[in-house]
Amino acid sequence: MFSKTSEALVQRRARDRGTGFQPVLHGQEAHATRGFAKASSSRFLPLLLAAAFSVSARGAPAPLRVVTTIPDLAAIAAAVGGQAVTVTSIAQGHENPHFLQARPTYIVQARDADLWIRAGAELEVGWEPIVLDQARNRRIQPGQPGFLDGSAHVPVLREVPEGPVSRAQGDVHPSGNPHYLLDPLNARAIARAIGARLAALRPEQAAQFEAGADAFVRELDRRLFGADALAAAPGDALAAQLEAGTLDDWAARQNVTLDGWWAELAPWRGRQLVTFHKSFTYFTQRFGLEVASELEPVPGVPPGPAHLARVMQRMQDEQIGLILMEPFYPRKPADFVAARTAARVAVVSSYAPDTQPEAYFRLIEAIIAAIKGP
Amino acid sequence: MSIFVSLPTLSGRRHAAPGRIGLLLGGLIAWLVTAAPLRAAALEPTSRGNRPAVNLNPNISVVVDGIYYHEQGDEPVRHLLEELEGFGHVHGGDDHAHGHDHAHGFEEGFNLRHLELMFAADVDPYFKGWAIVAVEEHGAELEEAVIQTTGLPGGLQLKLGKFFSDFSRQNAMHAHEWNFVDLPLINQLLLGDHGLNEKGVQLSWLAPTPFFLTLGLEVLQGDNENLFAYVAEEEDPLPERDDPRVFLGWAKVAPLLRGAHAVQLGLFGARGVHQEAHLGPDGADDPGSHWLDGHQTLAGADIVYRYTPPTAYGHHWLTLEGGYLFREKDIELLAHNNPERAPLLGNSLISKQDGLYVQGTYGFLPRWRAGLRGEVVGLTNSDRKPDGATESHDPSYRASAMIDWTLTEFSRLRLQVNRGEYETHEGREAVTEGFVQAVFSLGAHGAHRF
Repeated sequence: MFSKTSEALVQRRARDRGTGFQPVLHGQEAHATRGFAKASSSRFLPLLLAAAFSVSARGAPAPLRVVTTIPDLAAIAAAVGGQAVTVTSIAQGHENPHFLQARPTYIVQARDADLWIRAGAELEVGWEPIVLDQARNRRIQPGQPGFLDGSAHVPVLREVPEGPVSRAQGDVHPSGNPHYLLDPLNARAIARAIGARLAALRPEQAAQFEAGADAFVRELDRRLFGADALAAAPGDALAAQLEAGTLDDWAARQNVTLDGWWAELAPWRGRQLVTFHKSFTYFTQRFGLEVASELEPVPGVPPGPAHLARVMQRMQDEQIGLILMEPFYPRKPADFVAARTAARVAVVSSYAPDTQPEAYFRLIEAIIAAIKGP
Repeated sequence: MSIFVSLPTLSGRRHAAPGRIGLLLGGLIAWLVTAAPLRAAALEPTSRGNRPAVNLNPNISVVVDGIYYHEQGDEPVRHLLEELEGFGHVHGGDDHAHGHDHAHGFEEGFNLRHLELMFAADVDPYFKGWAIVAVEEHGAELEEAVIQTTGLPGGLQLKLGKFFSDFSRQNAMHAHEWNFVDLPLINQLLLGDHGLNEKGVQLSWLAPTPFFLTLGLEVLQGDNENLFAYVAEEEDPLPERDDPRVFLGWAKVAPLLRGAHAVQLGLFGARGVHQEAHLGPDGADDPGSHWLDGHQTLAGADIVYRYTPPTAYGHHWLTLEGGYLFREKDIELLAHNNPERAPLLGNSLISKQDGLYVQGTYGFLPRWRAGLRGEVVGLTNSDRKPDGATESHDPSYRASAMIDWTLTEFSRLRLQVNRGEYETHEGREAVTEGFVQAVFSLGAHGAHRF
């Protein structure tokens, strides 16, 4: 992401130099022009003018600057927006976005954004208000077209415990579990929401953004259902079957071979596992796995011995052999439990590793690989 | 348009009348606020959307801050601080408004520092607002009541009301955000127990630079208890100063660092009217009573480095911070009840003091932090009296150690020990202080500034 930031900054500097040059796409191009401007203004003025003309002649406006709170959203935005956007993420793949501190770097990123995309559901509540406040960027304030809250575009799991909800149940998020992107069907919805929002911000490129969203969804469907299924029915129909829980029946009736992520996890359906935090719920629900327990007694509180003893008892009783956890949680409690239950500890991030257009697919594939094990 | 009308008026005169400043500010605000065009609300989310419930009530949160305090020494710390050489607590300030019976510092045993009530909401498309009331056992103090613009163009932001000044990173923080139970000594001595918490206006600007740079200007009323103190009463010989009495500026700059590192540097300065009434035992009629009038100038810098690796529960997180503050008091002897001192009238008292602190906290276990703080006040510590006599004083020192346990984002327990050596008239006094603090927050999940 950092190289992306500096790219954006380079472009910005080039623009701020007052050359009238609007960098088109790549950092390299902007860089080259910046070098010209530095060398000598009089000697290179004709060249600069020519560059400016060639840019406007091509008619491509400056790319929209998209800043997201988590890399998953950045990866999807990069896939949807293609060459018409530059994308950076505040949180990196190895970081827990809930516990970031409102650092000055984030304020500079938000200052320059045309579109701010957040996961929502209070995931970023500890730092986002300060960053948006300090960025003084009206385009991305809540309620503006440049502010997109992903949680408003997917069905968020409330997971509300019985009885009145209070913080005695830990850091519960009253607006729902924010880890919804681990359900690929939600990623489809988010890609379309991002496409629609980019189109609204830049109507003249609307067709391009819609095509970008469609391409992302098509690729996701291919990896989720397999090419064979996609040849037999449109992706939306397959997604509807999956959502209704009738995908396998449908495939059997249609004599279609399901492939991809869905088929890969077929042997795991109905099996139980333990996670550290309630972050894989959407994934396990979608693919038919069951989270028997978390190592955290309540969200946001590290495990204590009494709770771990209960978890171990349950793992032994129900022969649960897998503990799934993110790298930013402490490894010790998981190893402690694993050593006494013969379970395997699989460490995998619940966030995309980077902001490349296909990073979301790599995220899901990494989780599948972690579950399946060596 | 009003800004173009007002500006020449100000520059044409050396001192704008208070009404003019008001007019200028009003014009500026009106122009800036309406300069930002409103845009249509965002698109409606899809019908699948899961919209949070519409709630127009302000967010409410409550912070309870309780302290058990014990000290060991010949004299209570709060008395020593009032008699500290060079920093003598004159209490020339607006005693009447602040209530002199208000006990500063902690009592032995259980203390309820305060219960902080916070209300925050968007006011309308132009402003957001918040109010913070610190409820103490014997009354309440309005800590902040602010409206702030949300959509000024060009990286500008305007804040109006009563607020903690951005004069140092430490000053802008509320008590429950501090890394130690108490303020750095130099902040407490120069800015008062409540910090620089004033009515006024702040205009700040986020520069379009490839690094983080924010500049701010503040015009404040100047009711601080011992800084920019203002005492003029009807029977006083001191001149009345009704306009805003403090002008203040600051800059914060931070490079864009890679990974988990962040550094921010702050520079700040302030100048304001300062008056002191030194009243003898018989008050204004006492033969020793005298009055001084002039200015006070403050300058300082601070730096903070934070290392926040991607570990859960703050494990291995490190914060290093240092701050320096300097003040110069230049006040003229305006009146003295003792006729023998008449020749000294018109002479000035010039008093220069400074101090610094260095502190660090480290997450040595998940949810547990340890911290150390070292402080010196009075490295520069000299007075030149109206009669020409000069005095200089030795510095005072304090060292602190703390451990805190953040059970969740909503509760924290802390243990702290201070050892101070304070320079007073009677010589050097050493005092050890112990604190046990519990901070709980209820309600809305607050965000924490850098």
